[in-house]
Amino acid sequence: MTTANQKPSFPWRHLNKLRWLTLSVVMAMLVLLPFVHVYQTYVAAHAYDLLAPAEKRLYDVMETLTSPFTGDPAADLDAIKGTVWSGNLFGLKLSDPLAWLGQAAAGLELYWPMLVTVLIPVAATLVFGRFFCGWICPATLLYELNSNLRAWLHWLGFKTGNRRFDRRFKYLVLAVGLVLSALTGSVLVAAVYPPAIIGRELYYAVALGGFGAGTLFFVLTLLFDLLVARRGFCRYLCPGGALYSLLGRYRLVRIQRVVEDCNDCAKCNAVCEFGLDPLRDGFGQECNNCTACIAVCPTDALAFRLRVTDAPYQGPGHLGRQYRKQQAKKAA
Amino acid sequence: MQRRGFLKRAGMLATGIAAGGLPYGIARLTAPPGQHDPRRHVRLPGALKDEAAFAAACIGCGLCGEVCPPRCIRFHRSDGGGALNTPYIDPQRKACILCGKCMEVCPTEALSVTPRDEIDMGIAQIDRSACYPWVDQGICGACVSICPLGERAIGFKMWNQYRPVVKKACVGCGLCVEVCPHPSLPIRIVERSQGTVTRHSI
Repeated sequence: MTTANQKPSFPWRHLNKLRWLTLSVVMAMLVLLPFVHVYQTYVAAHAYDLLAPAEKRLYDVMETLTSPFTGDPAADLDAIKGTVWSGNLFGLKLSDPLAWLGQAAAGLELYWPMLVTVLIPVAATLVFGRFFCGWICPATLLYELNSNLRAWLHWLGFKTGNRRFDRRFKYLVLAVGLVLSALTGSVLVAAVYPPAIIGRELYYAVALGGFGAGTLFFVLTLLFDLLVARRGFCRYLCPGGALYSLLGRYRLVRIQRVVEDCNDCAKCNAVCEFGLDPLRDGFGQECNNCTACIAVCPTDALAFRLRVTDAPYQGPGHLGRQYRKQQAKKAA
Repeated sequence: MQRRGFLKRAGMLATGIAAGGLPYGIARLTAPPGQHDPRRHVRLPGALKDEAAFAAACIGCGLCGEVCPPRCIRFHRSDGGGALNTPYIDPQRKACILCGKCMEVCPTEALSVTPRDEIDMGIAQIDRSACYPWVDQGICGACVSICPLGERAIGFKMWNQYRPVVKKACVGCGLCVEVCPHPSLPIRIVERSQGTVTRHSI
């Protein structure tokens, strides 16, 4: 029990709340930015009196929201633009690595200025692994809410399938997507990549009127998650997730089990959205550092460590019954 | 046993591709018939001239649309007019004001920053068998007065003050198309090689 008192004081278990906050902020921005753009077009038109009543209301609301930050909305509000697929953050251009890869495949040539925009995401992925999936991706927010819905439906007695497929299937989707992009000469992976879909569908819906086909596709993935496999799209099909998994295979920062504090309760395995095996040190390249297992662990036996590879199975947790039996056997 | 596994997996792959493509097919089939002529759509200022190269370069992020002050940039969704999610302008509904924001914000080579006079979205072509002044049905000059490039791009024919004539400096922004009051839109943006004068006489 001495180890339990020597816990590092950093509150790792609250990271999950921070993650939900991040996801919500990203989602809120994706909803807000199209409205900001519509407001900017109204400002640029200098025709407040000609707006319809609903448009005037939007104008007033957006003016109230943005006036503390800017005196010149038409120019200043361009500081934050775009989606998580490709965006502009105070002059810093960021793009999804999959966007660059898909474009390189479609055009069969490399465009170096765009490579610069993916450097920061790639570097962050090399350090934190598949963190984009857990911390930023707007689809993750909806998929996790969908998982909760699934749990409630299950509790109410509805049948929610939980089939397991081969995790490597998504790498095939990535490869096939890139090959098809090259064959058709357009970035096809963008059409089946939920974060890209959500960003532009929200923009279409708000600024241009009406959802497109991507929304239908996204609803299908939600149904797949609900009825066929838990978080099935992220785990088995997402091409971006595949790319991030590959990039994050030898990530520096990874969650590891502290075997001295583990009591084999297996809550981590139950809570893991990606169906990984934290209890037996089975994290692998698919772990998206979402910290749900850390938050749920009753003995704080999971923590971030600086390692390039996962630890091999460390045996049963020292606070568990199995370990005590082993020790008793050894002593006897 | 292994062959059966392979067949099963191939079947799953085929089903997956079909399920993934289904929404796009449904949206394409249920799309409302366009009231607007896709032949009158133009690509953005500074866009790659080759249509295939443009489709390959564009990642469909929508940034150009999100910075466009007049909100003239639209996207091919289920209309079948071009590669999915690539931007275009329908000058009939809303035309480009040549502000250049889209070129600056584009992360790919699809749009490259071009000086205003060197932009080539096409050239305006006037149907002299429909344009009001050209058929002596009144005086207009809306296209001439709206043109952001002024006299270099469009002016009046010398001997009749109200008959518009497009000149070589026209970059094809389409503002003249947006303001043209004639219901059949005798002015339109076409490829530069097609010239500035036509007579459709429908």
